[in-house]
Amino acid sequence: MAQTKRVRPSVRKMRRLKIMLIGGYAVIAVLSILTVSLLAIRKSDTVLRNKVTSLASTLNVQMKLNLDSYLDRLETIAALAFTEEATYTYDATAEGMDEYEALSTEKEISASLHRLCIMENLVDYGVVYRNNHPVGKLSNGTISLFGDRLFEDLHAMIVNPRTHDGWAAGYNGNYKRIYYVKELHENAILVLSVYASELEAVFDNPETMSDMRIFLTDLSYNLIYSSEADAETGTPISKELSDRLKGQTAANIMDDKFFVTVSTSDCSWYVICAIPSQIILSERSEIQGYIILTAVLAALLAVLLGTVLSLKLSVVVADMVSALETKANVDQLTGLLNKRTFEDTAASVVDGTVQDAQYALLLLDVDNFKGVNDTLGHGYGDEVLSKIGRTLHTVFTADEYVGRVGGDEFAVLLKYTPDPAEGGSLETTVRAKCKAVCSAFHDFYTGDDGNYKISTSIGAALFPLHGNDFSALYRAADIALYYAKRHGKDTYAFYDPAAMQGEVLK
Amino acid sequence: MKQRTKRLCAACLAAMMLPLGACAGEQVVSPQRQQVEITFSWWGNDRRNEYTLEAVRKFEKLHPEIKVRCSYSEWSGFEARTNVRMASNTEADVMQVNFNWLGMYSPDGTGYYDLEALTDILDLSQFSEDTLSYGRVNGILNAVPIAMNTETVYFNRTILDRYGLDVPKTWDDLFAAAEVLREDDIYILAGAQKSIWLLLLAYAEQVQGKSFLDSSGNLQFTPDDFQIMLEMYEKMIDEKVIPQIEYFLRTEIDSGRYAGAVAWVSDAVNYFSAVIENGQEIVVAPYTDTDPAHSGKGWYAKPASLYAVSRNTQQPKEAAMLLEFLLNSEDMALLQGVEKGVPVSAAAKEYLEEADQLKGIQYEASQRMEKTAGLATISPVMENSTVIEAFIECCNQVLFEKAAPAEAAQTLWQAVRDTMA
Repeated sequence: MAQTKRVRPSVRKMRRLKIMLIGGYAVIAVLSILTVSLLAIRKSDTVLRNKVTSLASTLNVQMKLNLDSYLDRLETIAALAFTEEATYTYDATAEGMDEYEALSTEKEISASLHRLCIMENLVDYGVVYRNNHPVGKLSNGTISLFGDRLFEDLHAMIVNPRTHDGWAAGYNGNYKRIYYVKELHENAILVLSVYASELEAVFDNPETMSDMRIFLTDLSYNLIYSSEADAETGTPISKELSDRLKGQTAANIMDDKFFVTVSTSDCSWYVICAIPSQIILSERSEIQGYIILTAVLAALLAVLLGTVLSLKLSVVVADMVSALETKANVDQLTGLLNKRTFEDTAASVVDGTVQDAQYALLLLDVDNFKGVNDTLGHGYGDEVLSKIGRTLHTVFTADEYVGRVGGDEFAVLLKYTPDPAEGGSLETTVRAKCKAVCSAFHDFYTGDDGNYKISTSIGAALFPLHGNDFSALYRAADIALYYAKRHGKDTYAFYDPAAMQGEVLK
Repeated sequence: MKQRTKRLCAACLAAMMLPLGACAGEQVVSPQRQQVEITFSWWGNDRRNEYTLEAVRKFEKLHPEIKVRCSYSEWSGFEARTNVRMASNTEADVMQVNFNWLGMYSPDGTGYYDLEALTDILDLSQFSEDTLSYGRVNGILNAVPIAMNTETVYFNRTILDRYGLDVPKTWDDLFAAAEVLREDDIYILAGAQKSIWLLLLAYAEQVQGKSFLDSSGNLQFTPDDFQIMLEMYEKMIDEKVIPQIEYFLRTEIDSGRYAGAVAWVSDAVNYFSAVIENGQEIVVAPYTDTDPAHSGKGWYAKPASLYAVSRNTQQPKEAAMLLEFLLNSEDMALLQGVEKGVPVSAAAKEYLEEADQLKGIQYEASQRMEKTAGLATISPVMENSTVIEAFIECCNQVLFEKAAPAEAAQTLWQAVRDTMA
């Protein structure tokens, strides 16, 4: 039976509140997670940059140490030449020497030098005298390269005043060999050289930093060694690197494009490690991706959880509100709508209806009910009313509004929908309902012995025939009820303005 | 709270904790790249070193699972280093070896890896059996030749033309040319220690009409034969046919102070590329002889060099892969060209033919060698450094009158006998 057919304002408010609650919670959760995520991204970026800088700087320092160690070892091998006295005392430029003795001495020196460097990949390890005469292991490549300036230009490579030695690369644009020259005496120098390609082992790059490019350059940034297979020694490093390195001798430089580290070796060459920033910081986007993914998941979970909890809460509240509404709208004794609710609901239905709709309003008044209360007591009377409620529940359908509008008065609003197949009319339908009600009342008697008979009188008014609004319809039904009461009770009457003219409502 | 709600909350919390739980104190194990490392040694000049290093890089690119560590230097001192390496069992896995080392380090054939055990990788069908026989010791294939080689006589025709000289073919021609050139301090011929030793050996064999060793490998030369060599050396120095061995500088070819040189086929490019680039003409002369009709008598041929694998190698498979690449691959063939002479690998030779690289002074020297009948196979003792050092010492004793030629020849003969003993 219809009791709360329309959405009530309280429910609409509750729905709005629920939506605001979920929306607000979602916004707060998303904003919080977004803030935390941004902080995490920023912090992780800083930490990653610091770690990368530290790691790459360590690599550069390690490469520099490798180079210094390698060159130091070669210097030690050069110093070993001094173990043979003839090597640093013999002077091929001296005049008046016996040629055979000179050749024998040179042969000894040569044999000694060969022994000392026997296990090394040295290109040159020999003595050059001021007259350009070479003794020992002097390669054709070196002799060709320096020509008749062999002693002079090699001697010019000595730059260290304390140890009387020096390193050089790029003589006449030839960067294939690296030279170390040490003075033996004023007319003799020891020359040691290696292929620049030997530095591959010195600058062997760990697998984890395989994208790092490693360069050894002279002070003009010309390549002595490059880890790039296709780079040509002797050519300058790229301008984008040299521009960044200008004026730096030991530094780490990072910008959006490159990360570059430079250190200066003991022989004043630059050890440079360079890598595009996007490669070395490739983990950054990965980390950021994880953070964003986690944030999105967390936000979704938070919103989902909030929605579920809100829905749960709203169901509980809705149940409570529904229960309260039921208590407020329903007559507790009969289970029917109470007077206010019936009148509000029926008025809104009738007053808000479209023109073609047909309704009937029935007003029922229990006959002789006062006698029940007086004879059998109010408690028993309440039981009778409760039973009447159940009776009306069985007679009327769920689409029809039934309410208790007085102590023993009831009202019913029923809607008639014409059915062309069955024919009939609103009046015949109402008549049938009235007969059914009267019949149902005949079916039960009250009292301990069942000898106290009750019945009902019914007044019916049709919409829009007997009234264009609820008030008019109610008045018409009330007149009809009064008429039924006055004409014998236990009957029903349709409002008839002609027949009932002069009936006075009490 | 209902049971279902509790379960939902628990699931949400578990999902949120999942990424955190994965990194809390977890042990991370990531594999490192594993490479098999092999070592490779060779000797040579700058050009050979450069192209061999490039070849190694190509090989490593083809086989990233293999790392090749290289050991190389010019010839000077390399032989002594090899001696130390072989004696100390620290030799490279793959080695360029000289022909005479087979006898020195593998007298019974077990001093190097048996390469016929690697034929599942190494394609020996590219080599004739005659060629492979140079690498066999006691029937065991110790090494595979790269190209054939012999001492060859080259002249700068541009210089000769300037002085109206023909290309010398005989010893007398050399002296005649020297007489013209010495006024301008130009030598008609020059050579390094071993080249001059083999040049004079050829002279002695031609003059004396007998070979250095008999057919059984026994020394056939007497002190008198060595005396012929020493006296010829002294004469050539005195008449400025050649410079003293100690003062030989290859770069003097570039300066025009040497009008010719005796050098290996494999040295032709190294010696003459600079002067050829300067527009001068270098010709490969007939092998100098007392009788030009018999050119080639007393001259010896050998594999230019060979590749061998250490008998101690722990990576024979990878060593064989590198060996196959060095001998038969197109990459190496094109990088190497005819730098060591015309390759004896049929595959390598075919690659060079297709690339039109079978030309130039080194190819011409190879052609001269192939077309000259009567070149004998060199014996290891002829390349023995002790013998050559003794020869130079005896030359100087004669040259500086520290000993009579007969006395010095006796010393040299004894040194050779001692070495062969």
